[in-house]
Amino acid sequence: MTKKLLHKTSRVYLLFSAVLLIVSAPLFYYITERLYIEETDETLILHKNEFVKYSLPTLKTADIQNWNKYNRNIKIEPFKNSGKDTIFYNSYYDALDAEIEPYRELNSSILIEGNPYTYSARINLVEKEDLMKSIAILFLIIISLLLIGLFVITKRLSINLWKPFYETLNQIEKFEIDKSNHPKFSETNIEEFNRLNNSIEKLIKKNTSIYHSQREFVENAAHELQTPLAVFQAKIDTLIQNTDFTQEQYKMLSSLNDSVSRLNRLNKNLLLLSKIENDIYTEKQTINLKEAIEKHFDFFTEQAKAKNLIIKTEMKEAVAVKSNPVLAEILISNLFLNAIRHNVGNGQVLVTLSNHSLTFSNTGQSQTLIADKLFNRFSKSNPSEQGNGLGLAIIKKIADLNNWKISYSFENNFHSFSVAF
Amino acid sequence: MKLLLIEDEQELANSIQRYLTGNSFVCEWANNAKTAIDKISIYAYDCILLDLMLPDGNGFEILKELKRQNKTEGVIIISAKETLETRIEGFNLGADDYLTKPFHLSELLVRIQALIRRKNFKGNNLVAFNEIEIDLLSKAVKVNTKKIGITKKEIDLLLYLIGNENRVLSKSAIAEHLSGDMADMLDNHDFVYAHIKNLKNKLKEAGCSDYIKTVYGLGYKWQND
Repeated sequence: MTKKLLHKTSRVYLLFSAVLLIVSAPLFYYITERLYIEETDETLILHKNEFVKYSLPTLKTADIQNWNKYNRNIKIEPFKNSGKDTIFYNSYYDALDAEIEPYRELNSSILIEGNPYTYSARINLVEKEDLMKSIAILFLIIISLLLIGLFVITKRLSINLWKPFYETLNQIEKFEIDKSNHPKFSETNIEEFNRLNNSIEKLIKKNTSIYHSQREFVENAAHELQTPLAVFQAKIDTLIQNTDFTQEQYKMLSSLNDSVSRLNRLNKNLLLLSKIENDIYTEKQTINLKEAIEKHFDFFTEQAKAKNLIIKTEMKEAVAVKSNPVLAEILISNLFLNAIRHNVGNGQVLVTLSNHSLTFSNTGQSQTLIADKLFNRFSKSNPSEQGNGLGLAIIKKIADLNNWKISYSFENNFHSFSVAF
Repeated sequence: MKLLLIEDEQELANSIQRYLTGNSFVCEWANNAKTAIDKISIYAYDCILLDLMLPDGNGFEILKELKRQNKTEGVIIISAKETLETRIEGFNLGADDYLTKPFHLSELLVRIQALIRRKNFKGNNLVAFNEIEIDLLSKAVKVNTKKIGITKKEIDLLLYLIGNENRVLSKSAIAEHLSGDMADMLDNHDFVYAHIKNLKNKLKEAGCSDYIKTVYGLGYKWQND
C-alpha cells in the first residue's frame, strides 16, 4: 500500500505517541500513588509523634471523650491489642457526601494514666478512580497538544522542504520521451534535490538522444532499403517472364515473390510508423467516422468474401472526431482488416460505432490474446500468421496521437478492439 | 512511343528498360540530371520517368527545366522518397503521376499507358483488344460490339491485364494494383483469384476467347494466342 510521504511520518508520530501514552500513563499512576501514600504515611507518623510528644503527657482518661468529640481524624479508642504501629487502608462512610471514602489509617498503642489505649489517626485519600481519571485526562491533553503541534510543524516544514521534490515529480510525470516537452528543473537550495534534478536531467537527456538516434536509424534504414527492394522487385518481375521454368523453379519463384512483397509491406509500415512519430501527420480535420468507414466498405466486403464472413454494422450517424484524415483512414482500415485477417471461415465481423467509441469485434481463435504486449511492434499473437506485427502498433500510435484509448477484450468468443475517443 | 528513364540505379534502370521495351516503346536512359536535360532539349518524348534523387541534382530541377523549355511531356516521378510535401511539390512542378519505390514493373507500365492515353486524348478514349473494346469514359466494355455487365474493379483488372499483354503478372502485383493505398496493410491475396474468375466467366459468357492464362504457382498472364 502506498501512502503519501507526509502521511507516513505523521503515522509514525501518532503510533509513537500512542505507545508512549499506554506505557507511561500506568507508570505515572503507580509512581504518583506510591509517592502519595508514602507522603501520607509520613504525615501520619509525624502526627503520631507530635501527639506522643505534646498531647499525650497532659492527656487524662477523662479527656478522651472530649478529644474524640473534637478531633475528626485522630481518635483514641479502647485498646485493640495491637503491639506495634500499623498503617493500613480503611474505608469509612461519609454521611454528608453519602459515599464511601478511602482512608489511610495508623493504629498505635498508647498509655494514658497507665491504661492502654489505641491511637488511631486517619487521612482521607484521593479516590483511585479520580486519580486515574485526572492522570488520563492530563496525559491525553498533553499528548494531543504535542501531536497537533508536531503535525502542524512537520506539515508546514515538509511542504516547504519537499516542494522542489514535488515539482520535480510533476515534471517527470508529464514527461513523454516521444514528445518534445522536456522538463525544466529549477534550482533549489537543498543539495539532495539538486542532485536528484541533475541526475534526472542527465538521464532524460541521454535517453532522449538514444531514442532519437534509434528513431532516425529505423527511418533511415527503411529509406535506404527502398532502392535495393525496388531492384529486387524489378528483377523478380523480369525473371518470371521467362517461360521455361520447371515446376520446382516456379514454386521457388513464387515464394521469392511472396517474400519480397512481404518485405515491401514491412518496410512501408515501418516508414509509416516513423512518419507518425516524426509528426508528419499533425494537421487535423473533423471526420465523420461513419462516412470514413463506408468509404472503403466494398473493399472490406471483398476481402471478407474469401473467408465467407458476415459483416454486421451498428453505426450511429454523425459521429465526428478530430484527427488527421490519412491517419484516421489507416486506423479504420487496419482495424477492419485485422478483424478479417484473424477470423475463421464463416465467421463474423461486428462494427459498432457509438458517440464515444468505435469497436471492431470478430470471431477467431478460441483463446483470449495476451493483452500486455499486443500493441508492441512485432509482437504476434500467432507466429504462423502472415501479418507483419506492425498493424496494432500503428493503430496504437495513431490512437495515442489523437489522445484516444485503444483496448482489447475477449467475450463470448468475440475478440474486440475498441477505440474510445 | 519514346520514353526517357532518368534513374541513377543501374540495375533498376536495366530491368525497367527491359520490361518496357517491346511494348511498342523505345526506352532511353539517362543516369544523371545533366544527361537528362541534354536529352530533353534535343528530343521529344511521350513520357519521362523521373527519379528525384540523382547524383548531380534534384529531380525537381528537371521538372523546372521542362517548364522553362515549354515542354509538355508527361512525367511520372519514381522515387523512394514519399512524403506528402514531395508529392505536392512534384505535382505543382508539372509531374503527372507519382510512383513510390519499390513498385511492380507491370504497375509502371499501365501507369505509362494511362498517362499517354490521357495526353493523346482526342475525343474518344477507347482501348481495344481483338474483340474487346473498353470505353474509359463511360466505363463500359463491349465484346464483339455487345456490351457486357462488368464492375469498375473488373475493368481496372482488365486494363491491367491487357496493358501487360504476354507478361506474367504475379498475384501480389495484381493485388497491389487492385487495392491501391490499402495494399500495404494487405497480406492475403486470395481475393485476386475471385476477381480473375469473375472476369474470366463474364468474358467467356460474352463469347470472348480465353486470354487469361494461369501461370502455375505464380499468377496470371494475358495471352493472345
